[in-house]
Amino acid sequence: MSDATPDDIAHHSRRRDADKYDVRLAKGTYPPTEEMLNAPIDPETAKAQADRLREVWDDPPGWRYWSAVNNSEVGVWYSMTAFGFMLIAGGLALVMRLQLAVPDNDLISAERFNQFFTMHGSAMMFLFAVPMFEAVSILLLPAFLGARDMPFPRLSAYGYWAFLIGGIFVMGSLLFGVGPEGGWFMYPPLTTLDEGVGPDIWLLGLSFIEVASIAAAVELIVGTIKCRPPGMRINLMPLYAWYVLVVGAMILFAFPPLIAGDFLFEMQRSFDWPFFDPERGGDPLLWQHLFWIFGHPEVYIIFLPSIAVAAMVVPAAAQRPMVGYNWIVLSAVGTGFLSFGLWVHHMFTTGLPSISLGFFSAASEAVVIPTGVQLFAFVATLMAGRVKMILPMLWIAGALAIFTAGGLTGVMVALAPFDWQAHDSYFVVAHLHYTLFGGMVFPLIGGIYFFYPFIRKQKMSDRLGRISFWLTFTGFNICFLPMHLTGLLGMPRRVYTYPAGVGWDTLNMISTLGSFVVAAGILVFAWDLVRPKGKLMEERNPWNAGSLMWAHDIPDQFWGVRSIPYVTSRNPLWDQPGIVERMDAGGYYLPDAQEGLRETIITSAIDARPQLVARVTGPAWVTVWAAVFTGGAFIFPTFHWYPPAVVCAVLAVGCVCYWLWTSTALIPEAPEKDVGLGLTLPTYVSGPSAPGWWGVFITMLGDMTAFASLVFGMFFYWTADADFPPPLAEHASGAWVLASALLFTAGWAATRAARKLNRLERIGQARAALGGGAALGISGAAALIASVMGLDPTSHVYPAMLWALAVWTAVHTLGGVIMQLYCLAGSIWGKVLPHYDAPVWNTCLYWHFLLITALVSALLVGVVPGVL
Amino acid sequence: MPTRPVEDLPRHRNLFLMVAAPTIWAVHFVAAYATTAIWCEKVGADTAGLTWLVTGYTVAAEALIAWFGVSMWRQWDYMDDQDYIHDGATDEDRREFLGHAGFMLACLSFVAVIFTTMPVWLIGSCA
Repeated sequence: MSDATPDDIAHHSRRRDADKYDVRLAKGTYPPTEEMLNAPIDPETAKAQADRLREVWDDPPGWRYWSAVNNSEVGVWYSMTAFGFMLIAGGLALVMRLQLAVPDNDLISAERFNQFFTMHGSAMMFLFAVPMFEAVSILLLPAFLGARDMPFPRLSAYGYWAFLIGGIFVMGSLLFGVGPEGGWFMYPPLTTLDEGVGPDIWLLGLSFIEVASIAAAVELIVGTIKCRPPGMRINLMPLYAWYVLVVGAMILFAFPPLIAGDFLFEMQRSFDWPFFDPERGGDPLLWQHLFWIFGHPEVYIIFLPSIAVAAMVVPAAAQRPMVGYNWIVLSAVGTGFLSFGLWVHHMFTTGLPSISLGFFSAASEAVVIPTGVQLFAFVATLMAGRVKMILPMLWIAGALAIFTAGGLTGVMVALAPFDWQAHDSYFVVAHLHYTLFGGMVFPLIGGIYFFYPFIRKQKMSDRLGRISFWLTFTGFNICFLPMHLTGLLGMPRRVYTYPAGVGWDTLNMISTLGSFVVAAGILVFAWDLVRPKGKLMEERNPWNAGSLMWAHDIPDQFWGVRSIPYVTSRNPLWDQPGIVERMDAGGYYLPDAQEGLRETIITSAIDARPQLVARVTGPAWVTVWAAVFTGGAFIFPTFHWYPPAVVCAVLAVGCVCYWLWTSTALIPEAPEKDVGLGLTLPTYVSGPSAPGWWGVFITMLGDMTAFASLVFGMFFYWTADADFPPPLAEHASGAWVLASALLFTAGWAATRAARKLNRLERIGQARAALGGGAALGISGAAALIASVMGLDPTSHVYPAMLWALAVWTAVHTLGGVIMQLYCLAGSIWGKVLPHYDAPVWNTCLYWHFLLITALVSALLVGVVPGVL
Repeated sequence: MPTRPVEDLPRHRNLFLMVAAPTIWAVHFVAAYATTAIWCEKVGADTAGLTWLVTGYTVAAEALIAWFGVSMWRQWDYMDDQDYIHDGATDEDRREFLGHAGFMLACLSFVAVIFTTMPVWLIGSCA
């Protein structure tokens, strides 16, 4: 077979764009020959290489430690912060349980109770469950893939600092008694009428964190498809990586609708644009749609990563490869898709047509198929292997039991008639806690016991782990099992107290007792996590697992892997004898850092053929500053302090530009370098083989989803309201709309031409095209704004919607113009050369998406209202 | 295991083809939902036409999914060597893996589309 035979890699180039765009390609032998892989390594050279690598990858000393961007540092900070928020949110739950322990209690006021349940839900979702997935993945994914780091380390660090600032801001509001009170899904009109700052804190603080989540998703997707080691084809990826890919894609399609919803919501709160006000044509149901298009997939965004952890623990416990790898991939991908067809099952009581409810009920039942498949694959693996009941496996087993119970009540509430009875009662509270504890908390803790030896090079206590498990497991069931009954007896959720003698008293007392048993279990775990554990482990692979991760170094080295291996198996440590020794000796790819730069190998998306040595970014304070200023841009508007918010936004953009300019797409000292094993790789590529291009592409897919949600809003108003647009409404000015569409098209064409001209070394013309493109873009945005200038957005939802589209497009134009000017400056000051032009490619890519946004906006503002 | 040689084509390396069938499910789902919402709001309570319309979408979607399913089944090429594990480091393993996963996703999508259509057959009311 041609592909297994070592050959000149250039002979088998599969790049269809190679002829068209003059792409720099790999040269030399690939895959490596047996001879190369057995060649002796000179210990002296190896030691010198290791010293250089260590110096390049080491953390900064002293207080500058906090400027580190290594995935191993950021991942630990991120997960510990998320765990801290989880403890706080759990504390809120305990106070609520105390309040509900006895009837007619007055431990806390109704107002405080409202703030507590709102922040309990919001924090558990936005500050714990989703960030925890990202944190753990940032920490573990490079190790699973044998990569040095993630493709954009500074982006991870930026995401972390943004998360920390946003999280403290949102949680801090509780201390001042101004926390949001509208429940974690913030339904209007209750929350749009709220006089306090609570809803603003929720909207802006969490939007900020959502942006950080999307940043992490982009990082993880690009990491999974471009940073695999040579040879790790898509059919050999660890299942964990499959789940990361699926969940990353889900985040990309689930979070943006919520961001679009937040945008509309905040426009109503700040400027009285009536999106959710029925008096002026708005509709509160639109928020429910946008929230749950996010909210239901989010449940699976939380659940799948935990199942991914289980998918790594189960084979190690069974000591055999997973049974039905394909089935698990099927179920991960299938669940990812189907989970987007469920959102209305949170809205069964809103009076939608029965047929519509039926669609969502049917999809809710259908999603059980793929979800069930993965559980059966786990059970089959355990049955086929010789199971060692290691402690992590105990937690996974508990998870399966609890999750299955939650899944069964899920099937019940997915039936609309049953849901009408149980809606907003404690039955739902019980159901969601069963799915989330079983689907998230138990597998996560099991995973931490499993991965801790990798993370800290020490083992957690088996005894404490078992105590913690049994406390949490029994406490959980004592707390939540009775709630099913409490709910069926009619107790609504979110009430701060209840009268005596309606049959709820005993059940509530039992739940409260159980909640403290859970808390005790979690605290035992927390103590085990942080207590000093003495000396480091001796053995590197305590579970005798097969994934690359367990080739880690003890004591820890910051380089990730000493050399990047050539992989030919799903479980390399089981199937490729000698791989660890050879990795350690520096006998694979990229064993050195001669140039003193942080580097990792980028491979092709499907077959993982080496394409590039990527220079990744190192420690910096600018990422922290960028996060601080982004925080300012989101936090000041909460208090309607717009000038400082604008200043912060400008500074944030400045920080990001500085960081990109000084550390990304640097012109290399040589166009290619020898990476070992007879392979030479380019050190700079632009376009679709560059990780940065993928980063832009994936970000913009998410952005398009947000825009599509706005478009959905426009049509939603049309279907829901017979008078949209209102018969006597004023419309946007057609001439300006047309001008805008033409200007945007011209701006896009200029940008596209600039890329070509720059390649052809017609530098002057390329610069003119970039500058001209920027001017055209600004004019296009101005024309679009001018077209709606005469309309009053506070009068009715129709003009407000047109304004929203115009503002959205204008803000995106600013991004496009900044990119054009960045390229122009790059061309002038030698950062962009004819054959080192990655920024121009990325700008072009952005403009493709911008053009779609602009033209669709023009259509919706100028043409569609006439047709509707 | 001896297998007959198959040329490895770009479409055999395409992740998007693997998820084509569930994407059709998604499009069908949105189309059915949007049509129902508009019908019930703008046309009225008589849902006979709606039932036909959505059933039409279903026939089209199922035909497309079946077509993708068959092409994925061919890519899996199970009858050739009865391989269903695909854990080797070769083009063939990767090609058959993507075919196998794509085929199973097509089966799942086929069933899911039927699930989605059942409400218009069984409920038939905008109330």
